[in-house]
Amino acid sequence: MAKKITGYVKLQITGGKANPSPPVGPALGQKGVNIMEFCKQFNARTADKDGLVIPVVITVYSDKSFTFITKTPPAAVLLKRAAKITSGSAESNRTKVGKVTSSQVEEIAKLKMPDLNANDLAEAMSMVAGTARSMGITVEG
Amino acid sequence: MNQYKEIEVRLTAENPSLVSDLLWELEPLGIEEISTSILKCYFSEDFQLSVLEKYLNDLRQDKMLESYSLMESILQNKNWNEEWEKTINVIKVSETFVIKPTFREYTPNNANEIVLTIDPKMSFGTGEHQTTKLMIRAIEKYCKPADFILDIGTGTGILAIAAAKIGAKKAIAFDNDPWCFENGVENCQLNNVTDFVEIRTAELSDIPEKDFDLVIANIQRNPLLDLCPAIVAKGKSTGVILLSGLLVEDESIILEKYLVWGLQHIETVTLDEWISIAFIRD
Repeated sequence: MAKKITGYVKLQITGGKANPSPPVGPALGQKGVNIMEFCKQFNARTADKDGLVIPVVITVYSDKSFTFITKTPPAAVLLKRAAKITSGSAESNRTKVGKVTSSQVEEIAKLKMPDLNANDLAEAMSMVAGTARSMGITVEG
Repeated sequence: MNQYKEIEVRLTAENPSLVSDLLWELEPLGIEEISTSILKCYFSEDFQLSVLEKYLNDLRQDKMLESYSLMESILQNKNWNEEWEKTINVIKVSETFVIKPTFREYTPNNANEIVLTIDPKMSFGTGEHQTTKLMIRAIEKYCKPADFILDIGTGTGILAIAAAKIGAKKAIAFDNDPWCFENGVENCQLNNVTDFVEIRTAELSDIPEKDFDLVIANIQRNPLLDLCPAIVAKGKSTGVILLSGLLVEDESIILEKYLVWGLQHIETVTLDEWISIAFIRD
């Protein structure tokens, strides 16, 4: 049907665990989006990504209907998972908290490619490696 | 949790999205990206602002961040869905049709008033948009009892449901958005028209039926132009075709295209910058 976009809402929330509390409730409520319906749809679509942070872009239309697209999890989250650490280093230049292999970086770069502003895989890998360094994660191999 | 901390982070960085990614180190409940340089981070009430300041200072030291500013506020928890419900009102579309959400009570003003129940979800056609109003009014005018209806790009199913409510014998309503199927079926059940409206996930080319008394399409200009011959072919001789999803400036190109296919222009109705066009097959 005829759709006129009135706005976008960009959120980062945990896959499979959206609920009406902030940021979902206040962000969507003020745009007139059915909060419970969004949570239901988002959780269904991200059930296989339970626990991972998922960026989501919600498009709101003039009749208060909406659609959304999910993006790949942030590189920082994927790196923590790959390095099997719970937290990065607060002093990344001085304290190294974990390590990942270059093949793990490549794997993350491939996954992130659709959402990264990278011209090729090498550039994407460089971005992911930069994120790793800033978190105190060493890239080996 | 009774309250939350909402911290607005305004940042200058070569790669702001990287900073946004890294903020997950601090385990926020969620982040809203207002723009590439403004983030609203939500934390539990016991989160200390100093932790965020230290983290951002470290990022600045690592040259990931040039500068930042923070604004902290306390957000009281509330029933956010109830807040949303307050924004959804009963819509009076015409003398006959009223649209209400499930969570609002409405008593018809007279015996002729028809109340449609639709909750805004992921499909278009909630009654809020001008084109939906135009099409419902047109259906009220052109749909006759026992008509056979085709609803192209049905969304919520609202137009087919409206037609069924005023006596259409049968409506086939389809959309190529898969989520419209579930929503359409749900709305047919809510409005007690499951025996009269059949919802499908399909393209127009998938619909084998033809000779419809009334063909309705509230989609967009370009698909209406592309699908013109196929839409016209679905109507029976003397059948009515109703189009919308069109802006005032689209009228001439639509008329030019559809009149070539042997239709007669009955009328164009305008509501704000939107129009609906009614044709009849010769």
